[in-house]
This record gives sequence, structure tokens and C-alpha cells, in this order.
Amino acid sequence: MEFRFTAEEERIAREVHEFIEKERTPELLAETLELGAIYGGSEGRKICQKMGARGWLCPSWPKEYGGLGASELVKLIILDEMAYMGLPFLFGGASMAGPAILRHGSEELKKEFLPRIASGEVEFALGYTEPQAGSDLASLEMRAEDKGDYFLVNGQKTFNTHCHVADYHYLAVRTDPNAPRHRGISMLVVDLKSPGITIRPLTTMAGWRTNEVFYDNVEVPKRNLVGELNQGFRYIMTALDFERMVTIGMFRRLFDNLVEYVKEARVDGKPLGKNPIVRQKMAEMAIELEAARLLYYNLGYVLAKGEAATFHSSMEKLFACEVAQRVVRVGMQILGYYGQLQQGSKWAPLQGEMEFQYRWSFLHTIAGGTSEIQRNIIALRGLGLPLPRA
Amino acid sequence: MDFGLSEEQKILKQTARDFLTAQCPNSLVREMAKDDRGYSPELWRRMAELGWMGLAFPQEYSGIGGSFLDLTILLEEMGRACLPGPFFSTVVLGGMTILELGEEKQKRKLLPMIARGDLIITLALTEPGSSYGNSEMTTKAVADGGNYVISGTKLFVPDAHIADYIICAATTAEGVTLFLVEGKSPGISYVLLKTITGDKQCEVTFNKVRVPRDNILGKLGQGWNRLQSVLRKAAIAKCAEMVGGAQRVLEITVDYVKQRVQFGQPIGAFQAIQHHCANMATDVETSKFITYQAAWRISEELPCNREVAMAKAWVSDAFKRVTLLGHQCVGGVGFMQEHHLPLYSERAMGAEIAFGDADFHREVVAQELGL
Repeated sequence: MEFRFTAEEERIAREVHEFIEKERTPELLAETLELGAIYGGSEGRKICQKMGARGWLCPSWPKEYGGLGASELVKLIILDEMAYMGLPFLFGGASMAGPAILRHGSEELKKEFLPRIASGEVEFALGYTEPQAGSDLASLEMRAEDKGDYFLVNGQKTFNTHCHVADYHYLAVRTDPNAPRHRGISMLVVDLKSPGITIRPLTTMAGWRTNEVFYDNVEVPKRNLVGELNQGFRYIMTALDFERMVTIGMFRRLFDNLVEYVKEARVDGKPLGKNPIVRQKMAEMAIELEAARLLYYNLGYVLAKGEAATFHSSMEKLFACEVAQRVVRVGMQILGYYGQLQQGSKWAPLQGEMEFQYRWSFLHTIAGGTSEIQRNIIALRGLGLPLPRA
Repeated sequence: MDFGLSEEQKILKQTARDFLTAQCPNSLVREMAKDDRGYSPELWRRMAELGWMGLAFPQEYSGIGGSFLDLTILLEEMGRACLPGPFFSTVVLGGMTILELGEEKQKRKLLPMIARGDLIITLALTEPGSSYGNSEMTTKAVADGGNYVISGTKLFVPDAHIADYIICAATTAEGVTLFLVEGKSPGISYVLLKTITGDKQCEVTFNKVRVPRDNILGKLGQGWNRLQSVLRKAAIAKCAEMVGGAQRVLEITVDYVKQRVQFGQPIGAFQAIQHHCANMATDVETSKFITYQAAWRISEELPCNREVAMAKAWVSDAFKRVTLLGHQCVGGVGFMQEHHLPLYSERAMGAEIAFGDADFHREVVAQELGL
């Protein structure tokens, strides 16, 4: 056992930390929050390209595709440090589409996309969810018909958050409507500027934008098929095993800011941090954040050993997201009256970030697989419990 | 980051698992709960032959030279088996205190005896009406020539009634001092307390007990401060036992819900049960890592106040949650006295309050946050 980073890992974490400290601007931080922690805006692209040039976007990829040939753990260290420093980017390309192309894609697709993802030149949006296909993703209906040298795609996606700023869509489509529903799905890479795609905004309660996306006779070249035809659902599931990791770095920083706040703020003439109930709550948050950090790096340890994270990723995601929710809920309780004040308002504590995070936090246990789905996966794959009778 | 056991640790764990499965069945655990002595001398002897008592002592004191982390791995298996008896009091409370505070002469005399299984020793700390962590001892030790005379009452002293030595924390003119008191000294009396788990905790009354000055452990007046690192180890040792117990409760529960049929299918196929089990698994996994991290820091002699307090706070709550959900899944059968589950749910309660409960340790974490 060794509960610390190697000197090399420490060095990378420190470099990332110092780099972001130097490079981040108020405009970048504002854009990151405004877009809901996705990159694709002008500021986000600038910094991601600089990080890409250092190999930090896809460190675990082979060097020929723009990576560093480092371990999966290094990737987790970088993502955690970024999130702590205010850039909690969810990467559609580097973390989701890219690894799938790396694992299943043709050599042509790899050459075309991987170096550009790793350099930060292009970003992907995930195209999974449909109005009738949320947790039950296998019921997706967007149709891709084989037209010889291209697929003709028709249908609707929703909550595809990156689409209005990303370059490509990593799209799940039904290619065989007659096959059992898990075996008729394929994955396509689609240029989001293709004729026939309409992207409409949806505004979330956190204030940032997501999208519904309509495909109306969109032609997608055959070579943009990722892996084999009708194997898409399997790819999605494997991807979730390997790439479903949630850093609580953003919440560690929020918590650290809250610690400073309760040290200074006075209520009824006494520092808030001297209130025994506040102390208990603050300590509990610190402990939960630590437990989440340990699950996160254990996941990195499992992945770095090259083992399948059968249930570890689900457990990490479940725990991290629920801890994140508790941190902002308890944080709001501790801030009292002041917690309700929004950014820019007179008296707003922590620049109104807790209030913003509170509105955002409702999503954590829903997006990327609900907490209930994670618990199902832990029970079925981790503990070997039986499937319910149909 | 390495979250795995070394090859030696894997062997230790497996040996302990096999040995305790065979030698410490639940029937023995129940028998010992009713037995006044509370342990099987025969089992004790065999554990000593395996070298367990001296696992974490240096070789110069007839130990095996293992780390504190190794000891926690063994304790995890003991917690899994609900091992009754004075291992914890003798090795963790007694052995670690002597190792950290004792003079060379004391170490040379006592540690090899502990390692051989020839000595039972415990620590008398808590007093009536005083909370965990209170350094003010009403038990007094007064100098009288070459002796000290100790008077006072100690509570919740594990295995005192069978101990060859009791390490007693008492107030002297210089402050809290630790004394090695022979268990059969004139003036000591014991009352065995009936506890929820049937473990053996005693009220120990010291009535003008004479102890030679040579039996002071460490320096006069420095007992309390020097004891803190031992108490941190004790808290993590207790966490390790809880982790082993929690893991076993999860296994018992999962096995049961796979077999138990209601509404025409195993109840483990129902999401309500699956989600309980997933929550239990998450508590077990986080408890394991937060305990190992603290044990590792202790072994590496790194600052560990924060990590120890975090672990004891978290695991105390998590083990209780795990036993509660285990009972909920297993239902009426688990409420029966002869079922395995009550052994663990009762121990979760006992372990929660030992060496500082969750509230106590959260307050330590708050201090570590600078609040």
C-alpha cells in the first residue's frame, strides 16, 4: 500500500496546478461555469489547446496519437487538479468519444480524430439520450439507414449539452430495427455542421444551456462508423466502465473556500466556525470528500493495473455525486440567509458560488447514469445479485 | 497510489481467515460471551504459536517485525470472526503503550512475554462521569518512599479481571502518569460489567494499591501526551475490526438475498434490496480505504491526526449503517439470537463508542481544519 503519488505524478499535478494558476482568467472561469463545465467556447478552447500541447488532455494515450503513454492514474490526477482549480471540464472527446475510437475505431478514424482530440483542436458532444430513452438507453430510436456509401440519419436527441459548441457528435443510432434492441445500435462520428442538423437550446435550472438536436435526412459517410455495425451498445457500456469517473475537485475547492468563510464570518458576535453544530457539519463534509477522493484514486489504481473496473466506476460516480450534493446542501445551510444571494448581489458570500452550485447540484445524481442505475450496476456486477424476472 | 496488499500481507490475511474460520466459529464466540473468563486459553496459545501477538513488535523483542499496517490486516480478520478475548487489550492497548513509552528494561522484560502469549495486559483509562478524551483523572497516585499509592475507580477496562498487568493512568503531582500495576496486587478489585456484546469490560477499583516507582511507564506527568499516539493506533485498530465485520455482514446479506424467495423470485432481484446492498458495499469500500490510509500513515510515521479522526468518525457510522441495512434485508430471521447478524450489529455499537465516537472525532477533524 502507498497512499501518495510518485514523484513523477506529484510533478505533473504541480505543473498542472501552476499552469492553470498562471493561465486562468476571470473570462475563462466565467465561461466555464456559464457553459456548465464543458469546453468549446473561445476561452476554453484556448486553454485546452495549451494543455493539449503538453499532452495533458489524453495523457494515457500512446504518443503517436498525442498522448504521453502515461497511466490512467495520471489522467485522473490531471482531471482532479483541473477541477480543483476551477476548470471541471467534462470532455466529450478526450474522455468519451476518443477512448472509444482508440479502442474500437478503424485505423483511418484513429488517425483522423485522435491527434486532433488530444491537441484540443476538436471537441465532441455525446449523442446518447433521446426523449424516450434516458436510463433505458437501449430503447433509443434515432434511425440510421444504410444507403450504400453513407448512412441516412433521422430522429431526435435531447440533453446533448455540448452540441452548440462542439465540432462533432458521438452519436448512438439504430442501424437494425429488427434485431434485439441491444444488438441493433451503432456509433457514428458526425460533423455537427452537416446539413439537416438543427440544434435548439434548452435552459437548465443552473442557468446554463443544453440542447435538443434534430436530424432530418443527415448523410453520414460510412467510414465514420466506430467499430463494428450493431455493436454500439456494447461499446457504450464498456466506455462507461472505463470512463465514468467523477472528480470532486471542484467541491473540495468550494469546501476549502467555505472553511475560510466560517473562520471569518461572525454570527451573534462569535465566529461561525466556533459553533459546535457547524463544526460537526464541516468535519463530516471534509470526511466525505476524503472518502470520495480515496474511491476516485482507487479507481485510478484499478484502471492503471489494466483491470476492468466492473463496479468501481459506478461506485465512485455514485458516491462522488451524492457527496457533491451534500456539500452544497450543507454548505447552503451553513451560509444561512446569505446563501440565497446570487453572484453580483450585495452580501453574497463566496461570490454567490454556493447558490449557483446548489441549483446545479440537482443534476449530479441524474446525469451520466442516475444514482439508481449505479446502484443497480453495483448490485448486479459487483455483488452478483440476480436480474429481476421480466 | 497503491491500494493493494503486498504478497506477505495477502498470505497473512489468508492464513488468518483460514485459521479463524476453523478455530473461532460463531459457536465459540457465543460461548465466550457467557464465559466469565471470556476467552479460550487453547486458542490463545495457538495464536501465539502463529506469532500474532508479536506481529508488530521489533525482532529484538521477540517480535516478527511487522508494521502497524500488518497488524490492522490481522485485526480486520479478527473483527470478521468476532474473535473474543484479550488480543486487542494485550497487543494494542498494552503492547503498543509499552513499545512507545516503556524504558528499554521494561520492553525487554514484557514484550517478549506478550509475544509468546505468556502475558495478558490492559489499559485503565476511563473514569465514572468522564468523557473520552478528558485528561483530568480523579484516580490519584501519591509518592510514598520508593512506591506510589494509587486510589480511584476506572471503568470499561477491557479484560482487567484476567490481566497480569494493568496500565493505569493516574494523577500525580506532576500530572497524568502511567503505572504498570500487577493485576493481583492487594487493594485491586474487579466488577465484571455485562455488555451488549458480551465482551469483558470491568470496573476496577484501586484501593491504596502500592506500586514500585520502577513501574512508571514513561516519564512522570507525561502519560497523557505520550498516550495520544497509542490511542490513535487503538482507534484505527478498532476501525480495522469494524471493516472486517462490515465486510462479513455484506457477505451474509448478499448470500441470503440470493437464496430467499418471495413473490416467486429471489429477493435479491428486487431493486429495493439491490440498492440496500449497493449502499452497504459502498460503505464497506470507503471504510476499508479510509482505514488503510490512516494505518499506512501510522506505519510510515507520517502526521496522521486528521486521517485517524476521519477514519474513526466515518467507519463508526458506516459499520452501523451496514448492520442496519443487513438486518433490513435479512428480515425476521436475522432478528433471531442464533443468527450471525446480531453478533455484528451489537459489535457495531460497542466499537462506535470505543476510543472516541463519531462526534468526538469529527470535532478533531474540525480542529484539523483550523476551525
